[in-house]
Amino acid sequence: MKLKEGFVLREVAGDIVVIPSGDTLDLNMMITLNETGRFLWTRLEAGAEKQELVQALTQEYEVSAQDAEQHVENFVAKLNENGLLA
Amino acid sequence: MERYYKIAGLTVVMDTFGVTQERAEKYQCVPTDTVDMRVTSNWETVKDKHPGYDANTGEYMSTAANFYRQLLDFEGMMLHSSTVVVDGFAYCFTADSGTGKSTHTGLWLQEFGERAYILNDDKPALRREDGVWYAYGTPWSGKHDISVDERVPLGGIACLSRAAENTIRPFSGTAAIGAIFKQLNRPRSPEYRMKLLELLDKLIREVPVWQLCCNMEPEAARVAYAAMSNKGKDLEG
Repeated sequence: MKLKEGFVLREVAGDIVVIPSGDTLDLNMMITLNETGRFLWTRLEAGAEKQELVQALTQEYEVSAQDAEQHVENFVAKLNENGLLA
Repeated sequence: MERYYKIAGLTVVMDTFGVTQERAEKYQCVPTDTVDMRVTSNWETVKDKHPGYDANTGEYMSTAANFYRQLLDFEGMMLHSSTVVVDGFAYCFTADSGTGKSTHTGLWLQEFGERAYILNDDKPALRREDGVWYAYGTPWSGKHDISVDERVPLGGIACLSRAAENTIRPFSGTAAIGAIFKQLNRPRSPEYRMKLLELLDKLIREVPVWQLCCNMEPEAARVAYAAMSNKGKDLEG
């Protein structure tokens, strides 16, 4: 699983903002993430698979494997809906 | 022919033609040894992408995009807005085209008479210099070419939308970031997109941002001015 290339992530006035760059993505798009979202996003950028994301979540946050899995599923579904996955 | 200009406090070299050259005329300066920026144009490409554009429009859009992208190297950017000056402070009104930015600043001109003028009616440069934000008139100033070659301290930014009643309130968070972001010049490269976010971060932290819902009556200008000129605080007690 991979994010499309060319996203730029930065905190803007307290919000975590992701915008696309380059020639292929919709440059009008702006996404905001919460803390968990950023946590998962940066790992996805590094090429993590779903199972690794679940593991990372359970290690970083006090959350059961089942909840973590649900969370990752929802997150990935949202990325997919918005056409952010390669 | 290459000409020298002083735009947004920078020495700019530009070889342009037609409308862009005419509008840039009042920004022209004598050639100097040091140049901050060379503006390049690819108006043919812009024109090809937008079949409705003629050469003049292509050149205008292309030079604007190039100038404002490079401006990011100098802590500056473009905010698509009609920017009015009253009593020495600049107030930017930003919104999608057709919302009524110029109509609103027109009400300010009526209301404040000689105390007010338009600095740039469409694409002012906003620049952060020694930690202070300023608005500049530039040659890229919209349909009617209303711009003044001046630097004015930035008093605030209002995101404008139409409403029956006039209300204004401080604007922050994701909605404010989104509303301003879509009215900025947005270069394509990751490097410049990151610079844009860095500068947007500072802008929103350092400059008052307002959400203005307004109609087209003179009261709209009074309501906006009362809050944005900081006199609103007195009214609220």
